[in-house]
Amino acid sequence: MSIVSGIADYFPFVVRKPPARFRTEDDRPVHGIMAEYDSAADVYHAAEQVRDAGYTKWDVYTPYPIHGMEHAMGVKRTFLPLVVAGGGFTGVGLGFLMQWWISGVDYPLMKQGKPYAAWEPFVMVSFELGILFAAFTALFGMLALNGLPRWHHPLMLKERFLRASDDRFIIVIEAEDKKFDPDATVKLLEDAGSSRVDLVEDE
Amino acid sequence: MSAINPDEQTAQQLAGLRPGAADRSKHADLGDGTLVEAPGERAPLVLNDRSAHDVTEIVCGYAENTPPKWWLPAFLIAASSTGLLGVGVLYLIITGVGVWGLNNQVNWAWDITNFVFWIGIGHAGTLISAILCLLKQKWRTAVNRSAEAMTIFAVTCAGIFPAIHVGRIWFIWFVFPIPNYNYIWPNFQSPLLWDVFAVSTYATVSGLFWYMGMIPDFATMRDRAILRLNASASAGEKKKLPDILRAYIFTLLAQGWRMSSRHWHRYEMAYLLLAGLATPLVLSVHSIVSFDFATSVVPGWHTTIFPPYFVAGAIFGGFAMVLLLLIPIRELYANFKDFLTLRHLENMSKILLATGMMVGFAYAMEFFIAWYGGNEYEWYVFINNRANPAMAPYWWAYWAMITCNVLSPQVFWFKKMRTNPLVIWLVALFVTIGMWFERFVIIVTSLHRAWLPATWHMFWPTWVDIGIFVGSIGLFLTLFLLFLRFVPVFPIAELKAVLPEADPHRGHGDHDEPGADVHGGGHGELSAPKGAH
Amino acid sequence: MSQMTADQYRAHLERTRRHPALAADNIHLPAGSGTKLSALCFGVALAGLALTLLGAVVVNVKHALAAYQVGVMSVLAIALGSLFMIMIFNLVNAGWHGTVKRQWEHLFSMLPLCVLLVFPVLAIEVIRAVVAGDSGRDGFLLFEWLNPAISGTFLIEHKAGFLNAPFWLLRFVLYAAIWIFLAQRLYSLSKQQDLTGDRWLSQKARFMSGWGTLVLALTSSFAAFDWMMSMDYRFFSTMWGVYYFAASAGASVATLVIVLAILRGMGRLTGAVTDEHFRDLGKFLFAFSVFWAYIGFSQYFLIWYANIPEETAYYLRRMTGGWEALSFFLIAGHFVVPFVLLLFKPVKHSTLGLALVAGWLLVMHVLDMFWIIRPMVYVQDWASLNPGPTGWWVDVAAIVGVFALFAGVLIRKIASGPLVAANDPYLHESLKHKNYVG
Repeated sequence: MSIVSGIADYFPFVVRKPPARFRTEDDRPVHGIMAEYDSAADVYHAAEQVRDAGYTKWDVYTPYPIHGMEHAMGVKRTFLPLVVAGGGFTGVGLGFLMQWWISGVDYPLMKQGKPYAAWEPFVMVSFELGILFAAFTALFGMLALNGLPRWHHPLMLKERFLRASDDRFIIVIEAEDKKFDPDATVKLLEDAGSSRVDLVEDE
Repeated sequence: MSAINPDEQTAQQLAGLRPGAADRSKHADLGDGTLVEAPGERAPLVLNDRSAHDVTEIVCGYAENTPPKWWLPAFLIAASSTGLLGVGVLYLIITGVGVWGLNNQVNWAWDITNFVFWIGIGHAGTLISAILCLLKQKWRTAVNRSAEAMTIFAVTCAGIFPAIHVGRIWFIWFVFPIPNYNYIWPNFQSPLLWDVFAVSTYATVSGLFWYMGMIPDFATMRDRAILRLNASASAGEKKKLPDILRAYIFTLLAQGWRMSSRHWHRYEMAYLLLAGLATPLVLSVHSIVSFDFATSVVPGWHTTIFPPYFVAGAIFGGFAMVLLLLIPIRELYANFKDFLTLRHLENMSKILLATGMMVGFAYAMEFFIAWYGGNEYEWYVFINNRANPAMAPYWWAYWAMITCNVLSPQVFWFKKMRTNPLVIWLVALFVTIGMWFERFVIIVTSLHRAWLPATWHMFWPTWVDIGIFVGSIGLFLTLFLLFLRFVPVFPIAELKAVLPEADPHRGHGDHDEPGADVHGGGHGELSAPKGAH
Repeated sequence: MSQMTADQYRAHLERTRRHPALAADNIHLPAGSGTKLSALCFGVALAGLALTLLGAVVVNVKHALAAYQVGVMSVLAIALGSLFMIMIFNLVNAGWHGTVKRQWEHLFSMLPLCVLLVFPVLAIEVIRAVVAGDSGRDGFLLFEWLNPAISGTFLIEHKAGFLNAPFWLLRFVLYAAIWIFLAQRLYSLSKQQDLTGDRWLSQKARFMSGWGTLVLALTSSFAAFDWMMSMDYRFFSTMWGVYYFAASAGASVATLVIVLAILRGMGRLTGAVTDEHFRDLGKFLFAFSVFWAYIGFSQYFLIWYANIPEETAYYLRRMTGGWEALSFFLIAGHFVVPFVLLLFKPVKHSTLGLALVAGWLLVMHVLDMFWIIRPMVYVQDWASLNPGPTGWWVDVAAIVGVFALFAGVLIRKIASGPLVAANDPYLHESLKHKNYVG
């Protein structure tokens, strides 16, 4: 999801953003509605209500990861571990293959009477390469699945939103969401205990 | 609020005007309020009832405000001693490795000693970040960022030595499997080649780990810079250059991080995975370093306990370095003690004691097996090259190692000692010295007398040896001072997550998480489980 | 040094005790349960040990003794590993293990039995050595160095200060005394806490665990030297004690998982020991399996690479003569298979899945001990005595016998009291233990 919108941001000729479903009175596209909450507990319970109301394109922005939030939001467990395991085993395999080919096939040298392609000395480098591949997969896989790097986002133009990295807890429901309705959505967020609800414009 | 001077809240607390301070005075035996010993209770991880906003202000303040007065002189001294490293290395490369005190008998000395010393120091950073993360030890948040930074800088220092010790450094690319017109490949059965892969992997992964932990904090720094720029724009003031730079640089580094929970979910998973990968990595790196010695048949080098013994020693030396750096900084930076409490120091002292005993265990095993194995050369190294003052010219190095590494941490059996920052700092200093001597003992005392007495030779360092070592300390401190100046020294997001207020179930009982009960918040309010009444 | 007053703590304890998972029928086995099973175990043990005895007569004494030693060193590892784990948890003020702690205590309180089981081997060997004198076939000892016939050789002469029967027995007494003291004291502190609810008992246990860990590390290493490494008096490895420790820690967690899985299968510990605990135990299994591989590989690799004759003989014996099959099977079974299986969250989360992996690892643990002890038996001049595959029944009988005895006593212990240390000061943390990430 976020990958697609990220691509749409940088390569509009590859993926085109759908036209905005809602526009403001002065005809600017609406990105969504942003609601602020005062505490981790408040936003947690609000998230449960938004999830139960059936929204899909929404997110909770918090200064730190709140434990159990993925449950409150109904987010499925990420498949990142599988990708990382794949990266790791690839690294081990390639590392072993490289050493076996170099030391055993292409450039066999007698060293201390040991077999050219003895598996024992190859363990270390294979292991290191496995870790290296897996670590790269973990960081860049995480960024890619998150649709990052993405240095521009409509939310970042909203000054109040920037306080999410300090101590604010914010829920944003995007206008693209099928259930999005200017009045009902605002009411839902307010009823869930929001201290302030704002409109977020797209550019 | 300035990071240098205490903020109003702190001032009030110090004056006893706020409940935090009053509460603590009731428990004089709790030190700063964190030395809780009673089973069933947990010490607070952050003192003075800091809110999430306080954490942002204080930690970002260290990197945003004018640095304290001592910073610039300290930086200048450290940076100029780095010059010694430059001069020494240049002279070495121009002239050859003969400018060191090496000789036919002792062909590895301070170069590899310093390499193992620095790489060992690096390991505590990964240990704190990775192993304590896997073990869900939340107290790691107080030290993990600076320990990780220390790792990177120590590995940087470590990497210099094997590179320059090859002599003709312009052939260093031979160590990488690069196809070339000579049709030769590196020898994958050589421990030194495993080192190349291990150390470079370690440097890379530590860097990734460090960077990944900082992404959210970079976002915080970015947002603050943007907010300040916006404020000065709306007030009609001129934009300040540091903030413009910060806005650009941190925007780039933060990758567009926007604190999204969907992102946090994958982020936490990736962080856990990296921790799980870094843990065996730490073990493997120092094990491979130990293979440099243990795969040989040199008496004093070949012993099977080397891999775990080196790992324990690395953790030991690394924790000592963390304490050595952070205890003074804790005194020098305002509010630092709110996050790095006495409890943290006590915990790390305990780790020093435990790893010191592990190292002592390995020394004892080595000595016992040297005798038990019945190999007279092995026994000769231990007695006549190392331990016996009457026979061993390097006896002082051996006993310095034993005193510093095994005896000095024994003071930590007493709580009074392990909660006294000065004592901890002194022991950490001893341990750092002792761990350097350990590598010196292993390398030089084993080498200086081989099978043929006619070839025996002592090693004495030259000014180049000393200059390069002192210069590497300078480089390390320079980098660390820069880190203190420009980067959040605590993991801001993680610190906020261990505040009592971060628990979404605190004081509520009406969420629908399966199997979960009401969480007790901080200390003293251990709430009843759901459905119990 | 506490923040809570005694009254506050008592009130907190009362609240914790009202947790539904701590209801009496959830943490107690029905009266009289386990008696039949433990009786069956004792029957099997009797049969197994009798068959071992028969093996001593039919095959030869050393063969039977080695088989028995495999079983004994395996169960001893379980008990020592459990003692170590609990002491570490005490030291670090662990909270998550509150509800599983009692079963670990049951496991380490088996130490007296294990020590008792070791004794016959030492006694028989010393007696045989004394009786045999300088004669030939009776010098066929499991601990060769006891044999007076070879006492003149250089290595025996050199090591005589350490490897001699009186000191060997004295060390046995020393290890036994230390282990039994540590185990009994920690167990009784915990049991006492069940009755009084005094939380300061936990602090006593913590203090003891500090020096206890140190002493245990030294004694268990030297016990591993004495009772396994010295079977081949020529061989030496500084890593040996660490290797035995790695094996013990893994075996201890594996046994614990099996015990807990059975108790959960009986409908006990619902809500007290949850999938979340199992998940963490699974991580421990994973970690110790990897740690075992790390230690084992390091030891093998350094000896393989340096290729010094006095060390290499040990591995040469295990890489030739058919033993290489077992060696590679161990690498696969003790490391690769559990490594891959335990990577998956559903395996760690499922009671049955994890119990199966734990059972497999326990079998591998026995095979590991078998791999250490068995290839030593028919070296040198004794190959003609080797019964070959027909002697395997003795191994099976002895190992099953020892394990059945261990299980029989363990079952009685488990059935005798509450399944949870209900007054553990950190129990509230264990009851809500949860892995949020991952």
